[in-house]
Amino acid sequence: MAAGPPTAVLALRGIRVSGRDRPRLEDVDLSLAPGERVALLGASGAGKSTLLAVANGLLAPVAGTVLWEGQAPARSRRGRRRQQARIGTLWQDLRLIEELTVQQNLNAARLARWGWPRALLNLLLPLDTEACAAALRAMDLDPALLEQPVTALSGGQRQRVAMARLLRQEPTLLLADEPLASLDPRLAGELLALLLAQAVAPRALLLSLHRPDLLDGFDRAVGLKDGRVLFDGPVAQVNAALLADLYGGTPPGETP
Amino acid sequence: MKPAAPLLLLLPALVLVPLAVLLPPLVHGGGWELIGSFALAAVTPSLDPVVLASLLRGVAVTAGMALLGWAGSLVLGLLLGAASSRTVWRTLTGSTLPAELIRRLLALPRAIHELIWGLLLLQLVGLQPAVAVLAIALPFGALVARVLSDLLDALPTAGLEALRAAGAPAPAALLTAMGPALLPGVLSYGGYRLECALRSATLLGVFGLGGLGTDLKLSLQSLEFHELWSGLWLLLAVMLALEGGISLLRRRWLVPGRFVLARRGVGERSREMLLTLAALLPLCVLVGRGLGVDPAALLQWQPLPGLGGGDWAATAALPWPRLVGGTLLLTALAASLAVGLAPLLLVVVAPVGWARQGLRLLWALGRLWPPPLTALPLLFVLEPGVITAALALGFHNLGVLGRLLLESADVADPAAEEALACGGSGPRLALLYGRFSALARPYLAYGAYRADVILRESVVVGLVGATGLGSQLLESLSSFAWDQLLALVAVYALLTLVGEDLSDRARHRWLRAA
Repeated sequence: MAAGPPTAVLALRGIRVSGRDRPRLEDVDLSLAPGERVALLGASGAGKSTLLAVANGLLAPVAGTVLWEGQAPARSRRGRRRQQARIGTLWQDLRLIEELTVQQNLNAARLARWGWPRALLNLLLPLDTEACAAALRAMDLDPALLEQPVTALSGGQRQRVAMARLLRQEPTLLLADEPLASLDPRLAGELLALLLAQAVAPRALLLSLHRPDLLDGFDRAVGLKDGRVLFDGPVAQVNAALLADLYGGTPPGETP
Repeated sequence: MKPAAPLLLLLPALVLVPLAVLLPPLVHGGGWELIGSFALAAVTPSLDPVVLASLLRGVAVTAGMALLGWAGSLVLGLLLGAASSRTVWRTLTGSTLPAELIRRLLALPRAIHELIWGLLLLQLVGLQPAVAVLAIALPFGALVARVLSDLLDALPTAGLEALRAAGAPAPAALLTAMGPALLPGVLSYGGYRLECALRSATLLGVFGLGGLGTDLKLSLQSLEFHELWSGLWLLLAVMLALEGGISLLRRRWLVPGRFVLARRGVGERSREMLLTLAALLPLCVLVGRGLGVDPAALLQWQPLPGLGGGDWAATAALPWPRLVGGTLLLTALAASLAVGLAPLLLVVVAPVGWARQGLRLLWALGRLWPPPLTALPLLFVLEPGVITAALALGFHNLGVLGRLLLESADVADPAAEEALACGGSGPRLALLYGRFSALARPYLAYGAYRADVILRESVVVGLVGATGLGSQLLESLSSFAWDQLLALVAVYALLTLVGEDLSDRARHRWLRAA
């Protein structure tokens, strides 16, 4: 590697997204270096989900630039798809395909790289069983689950399958929108640890969080308030006063 | 090796493989020029005021026949539906036996297509507006009766029993406990039947029972394509207005759509629904006056020509296996085409936003166009036979199925598709995996029901020649061979009943597995 800082996995500059009465995001700068794990904090309505939608390309900002691995959004359809394939999102509602098996769901993350023949064959035969099993094991799941329909899984298992699918996509940018919101504290801690363990260079992780007590494994925290970045710094600097400011009163969950 | 849901959805489209082999030998040089001027006329319809005035009269007659036939089928269906309901008989008499009996009897009028009814009535009472009305009302009434009694018998009876225990007389208790719960389902199905009635009235016209269908057929036969298209565009406007109005009312009243074959829905504004139904009555009287429908004339039967002792030996000598086989092949081809092409085309055009609107228009034309009228232009370039007939029948039903699939895809949860597209899969695969997965089973279940409709409908393309029972039936009818006709109608009804049973089973299996 040549000298100089490595290319940021995600770089947002001066992002603005308009809303009905006020901007949903205003002049937001955010940069993720390879290997960085960043927590996104803020009250509901602060713009966390909007920011993540800009980061994963779902929402085009009205002003500002988005760079993925140093590249602006590609103009060609094919180029854009190649970019999107490197952005993995863990959705709050998981978005598993209920009619398919665990293995078919995991392989659905490969559709961007597969052609039609494999995409259709995946609906008939178990494909890439070894890679799928490895993804399940990385999430502490039994590979025997591969043949199960996802409807047969428990809530915790579904969460892990969604995370395994994220791995199966092999993205460089990991995005997650409050993935732990509906889980009990012990399970939330466990799953967060698994996710953080996957975020090693060249990957980077941006995760929105509603519980400041889970900040330990992150490198940086970014606080949003009313669509603006209020704080961007090491996790160690997050204190009660800042949280009170972010959440406009008592912070949710326990204070750190 | 069990194909997953989205793959199942694409499997019926495999019918394109044998078609690609069988179709080229059927092409004859003949009428490409005619096809060209036919297609060109679509954008240059005749605007001659005289033509338009006559076509408008035709549209009005067709719409009027549809409305009256539909209203008649609702009245018939409500009465017969109550009469074939187990719950009703149990409440009134304590026995469900009469319900079972009436249910079986109603299978016969249901199994016979409205075209056969129309042609038989035409022979019996001569050409008059009431023939088309009755031809629609009879089979549709039996269909409404079946759906209504199924809905009724599936409702929980706790409320009814409570009212009876409190001393309410049986009819009042039935109406109070069941009426409100039944209304949304009946309205939803009724709306769908009105759309069917418009299509049927057009079709009956093609066979000479009056209205726009007759005009369309004459224009086509005399190669007046510009006039033909004027009529088709007019009819399209009426059909889209009707469909739009019905779906507006569905949304307003929150009654279930047809797609999921929902057993129960959430109904609101019951009073408004009843008022709308009540307003239909004077409208029907007015329309009846306008059309000159005279119920009394239906009672003046003409002596049937050539009715003597049947020639049963000649009837038995008909090539039955070939006739039945042709009909089944026609049904299978047309059903696979209609069921398979709708999802395939949607997937193919997924990346192009406006192409979806193009498909919407194409499907609307398919619905509107009576299959025999599609078959005629096809005959300009194709040899007659089962495959040509299957293309015409398949195109018509593709219009029906495609609209259903598109409408339900539009209201289905977009989350999974969005997630896939966001991960870089192309729009086609995102649609197939993300959105069609959830739709596959209900869609195929509906397809099974549609296959049953197609079997019944296969008679209408009989004039394409050598298509099995349908063409033989039309031939026997025109030569007044009543013995053959009787046997053919009986075989048709039997096939339809077996088909209905099979498609019912398939549907329940699909929906249960979901």
